[in-house]
Amino acid sequence: MKNIAISTAAGLSMLANAAFAETEITWWHAMGGALGDTVNEVAEGFNASQDEYVITPVFKGTYEETLTAGIAAFRAGEQPNVMQVFDAGAATVIAAQGATVPVQDLLETNGVDFDIEDYISGVRYFYADADGKLIGMPFNSSSPIMYYNVQALEAAGVTPPVTWEEFETVTAPALKEAGYTAMSQSHLPWIFVENFMSRNDLPFATNANGYDGADGTEILINVDPLKDHFTALTKWQDAGYFEWFGTGWGDNQTPFEEGDVAIWFGSSGSFGGLSQKDLGFDFSATYLPYWEAVTTEPKQTFIGGAALFAMSGKSDAENAATAAFFEYLTSPEVQYMWHRETGYVPITTAAYEMATADGHYERFPAAETGILQLSLDASENTRGYRMGFYVQIRDVMNREFGRVLTGETSVDDAFNTIEVEANELLARFAQTQN
Amino acid sequence: MTDTTQLAIVKRPLRWGRVLDHLVLILGALFMLIPLLMVLQTTTTTDLETIKNGPELVIGDQFDDNFMSAMFQASGFSGENTGIQMLINSLILGIGFALGKIAIGMMAAYALVYFRLRFATFAFWLIFTTLLLPLEVRILPSYEIAQKLGLLNTYTGLIVPLIASATATFFFRQFFRSVPEELVEAARIDGAGPVKFFIDILVPLSQTMIAAMFIIMFVFGWNQYLWPTMVTTEEGMYTLVRGIKQLTQDLEGTNIPKYGRANMLALIAILPPVLVVIFFQSWFVKGLTESDK
Amino acid sequence: MKRAGFATRWLPILLLLPQLAIIALFFYWPAAHAVQSSFYLEDPFGFGSSFVGFDNYTHLAGNSEYGRIAQFTLLFTVLVTFFSLALALLLAVKADNVIRGAKMYRTLLMWVYAVAPPVAGFIGLLMFNQNWGPLAELAKSFGWDFKLGVNFGDTATAMVLVSVWKQVPVNFIFFLSGLQSIPKSVREAALIDARSSFRRFWDVTFPLLAPTGFFLLIINITYALFDTFGVVDVLVKGEPGNNPMTLVYKVYVDGFRGNDIGGSSAQSVILMVLVLALTIFQFRLVERRIHYT
Repeated sequence: MKNIAISTAAGLSMLANAAFAETEITWWHAMGGALGDTVNEVAEGFNASQDEYVITPVFKGTYEETLTAGIAAFRAGEQPNVMQVFDAGAATVIAAQGATVPVQDLLETNGVDFDIEDYISGVRYFYADADGKLIGMPFNSSSPIMYYNVQALEAAGVTPPVTWEEFETVTAPALKEAGYTAMSQSHLPWIFVENFMSRNDLPFATNANGYDGADGTEILINVDPLKDHFTALTKWQDAGYFEWFGTGWGDNQTPFEEGDVAIWFGSSGSFGGLSQKDLGFDFSATYLPYWEAVTTEPKQTFIGGAALFAMSGKSDAENAATAAFFEYLTSPEVQYMWHRETGYVPITTAAYEMATADGHYERFPAAETGILQLSLDASENTRGYRMGFYVQIRDVMNREFGRVLTGETSVDDAFNTIEVEANELLARFAQTQN
Repeated sequence: MTDTTQLAIVKRPLRWGRVLDHLVLILGALFMLIPLLMVLQTTTTTDLETIKNGPELVIGDQFDDNFMSAMFQASGFSGENTGIQMLINSLILGIGFALGKIAIGMMAAYALVYFRLRFATFAFWLIFTTLLLPLEVRILPSYEIAQKLGLLNTYTGLIVPLIASATATFFFRQFFRSVPEELVEAARIDGAGPVKFFIDILVPLSQTMIAAMFIIMFVFGWNQYLWPTMVTTEEGMYTLVRGIKQLTQDLEGTNIPKYGRANMLALIAILPPVLVVIFFQSWFVKGLTESDK
Repeated sequence: MKRAGFATRWLPILLLLPQLAIIALFFYWPAAHAVQSSFYLEDPFGFGSSFVGFDNYTHLAGNSEYGRIAQFTLLFTVLVTFFSLALALLLAVKADNVIRGAKMYRTLLMWVYAVAPPVAGFIGLLMFNQNWGPLAELAKSFGWDFKLGVNFGDTATAMVLVSVWKQVPVNFIFFLSGLQSIPKSVREAALIDARSSFRRFWDVTFPLLAPTGFFLLIINITYALFDTFGVVDVLVKGEPGNNPMTLVYKVYVDGFRGNDIGGSSAQSVILMVLVLALTIFQFRLVERRIHYT
């Protein structure tokens, strides 16, 4: 890349050092707007921190556009060194062994200390292989949490619900009485399916949630606890406890911000946006509720968002640069900065401790919720899922759930359809792997 | 409305038809323009205001700030993709695409209409079929070819693959077929060869059509998004539409998108094509009315 | 070709060459690639692949959802094409009638043409925002609880409206220049022959506009099928859910977004065959009835 940042002091020092043979690497990402500014800050920080390597971040559009651009580039031998891949696309990249260098191998080859135990529990396995080896470096990590309007809950005389039973019998009726729609959510597949399974300790797919390989993996979505949850949602919708505003993230968040909806399920990363707005009420956050009828030992959730993958086919020198960048990225200072600026969770315990020591959570208690929830008890069912064509599976879910909530189909029919279509997609994906 | 009609009645014989004409045109103009005015309004208020209340009937004080940041502030890492640079890139893409397509399309249409080619029909269908599959669905193989030809991160790579469609050829074929045959015969009697006929007679005659095509093609090229995103990775090559997407993109509600700046950029992005339209429009309408056959 | 032409042999080939070279590289090769891919299921990175015969096609045939999308696409195309053409023709006829302010109307009506499809989509989001969208509010005042993104029909309405809004100006420009190129002598003769302006329009003006109309018909169908992609993408906020989508958007969703190369290639092939059939049909039906001068 010929592009050299000249807008910052870091850029100037780089120019001064340009006489050395610097190794240049590129990083394709999907972070637009203010998130992109923070990405640039991280890159500038890395470039300024040493003078052997220079990283150039490039915005490549949405998550999907970034992934596809990366795939096209890989096929043509033009791939970047580092590529950001989102949760639902992870299976595609990880299944294509040889497309990336597993992050853990990359770090170890280049003499960077790596211990998975340094990472927060809920962060460890989503981007790892069946043996727990880390393939992609978690980057913008978030988990769904429950936000609530403090004044609304006080007015209704209730506390945030711990279980869905409590929500149904106590919280929601009281909130309705107080003039609120009790609840909305911003991403049905992510919050009420994927993390619902983890939280309620249910398996999501055969083959250990798909981690053991694409062959014969089948989704376990047509199960009673999940169907009961969606039946409850339709009941709550009729009772005025729950409203659904479409698949758009913001459409479901706005009524909470307007003070019409008292409880909103969003991302731990939404914290940043909420605090930038003058909400006119105090908000706080806590864990996702669970169904006591399903489990009495609720578990942790896992991370969504996206991870950084080191693309293969690069020289040793460039891989060393990528390893150095990951080392810098995972340092507590950078993680804390990223956490503070964006609201995404830090991925290491050291960064979390640094934030705690700095008093970050005394200032913003809600910022801690995601980390705490990711650190609850784990089980076989909490590491995440590994399913191919998962983008389309989510599309099918969104479509059928939308139809359920607009009364076009029944919960039973919807889940039958999802099961059939998802399993077809999984079988087709398995065939791409031969 | 009653007022105008009465006025009309007093001044002239009954002109209901005219009043109706104007009414339809005014309604049409409002339908087209009100949304744009609303976008303009949102560039004067803060992003927070916009996200909470949407377009309103007040004019805020953010216009200057949004204009300056849209034009001169870079939204990327290298500091190269300022509004100005993106404007230049979009211009290069729009003009390059329009000129390339017109030149290639005219030549092909000329060959198809004015020469006795055994495979003319076949060639026409070969070209025409390209209307049937948009670039969006053949993007991966197109990328591979662009890479093999060394066209990544170049203006050529940005422009040429987009030219692979038949709109202009089809249009000029339609037009050439409506050009009176006597012209060719007259030219032949005068001893003009095919090249001379093309340059001295057909091209000037097509002036207005060229203008029309230029408008269409310029706007089409100007508004491309997916292909430029794929084929360029250097921020100095970003186009406006891409810059707008970059500003508005947000994940999981982590931030308030910069609506004011993005909407400003969107309005700036409308201006050059509008100017092209206005400029060429007066030209080709004039040309058409004067050449009263 | 039926007209008198030049007999030179090498020149037409030379003239056709650039066009054919570009479409061979950036259309036929990728298209052939798509046909080939449609018989495989392959890992997008190019590591694994299995030959699956017609599985990708039978998979689509067995999917009721695909049929629904095809139906919607048909309806969407008909509505967008019809309303864009009808509205533009109406406005063009009116603009051709009036003398006072004609230039101003012309200019005002063309602004929107310059709006990029994704930006048109953003403007649509602004107009139909669930909380404060002016058009959503307007619908509510008529008792229509308009919910973009929730209700299938409402989202479809918004898609059609935004797509038409975006397309009217280009049709308007062409119709207007077509109208103004009708010779004065013809108009005067018509004025004497037919007193009713309605009859005059259908008997004289409309047939003379037919070549322009046919060109625009094809352009509009192509637009509705392919170029509304940016509008659809933005209006469904990148997450189609239970919202309507078009066939091309489905190709994009499965191929570009979901990396199912085999499945999306099969869809592209189906799309190509459908549109090819449609086009041949149009040519047969329409072009024979149009008289070129």
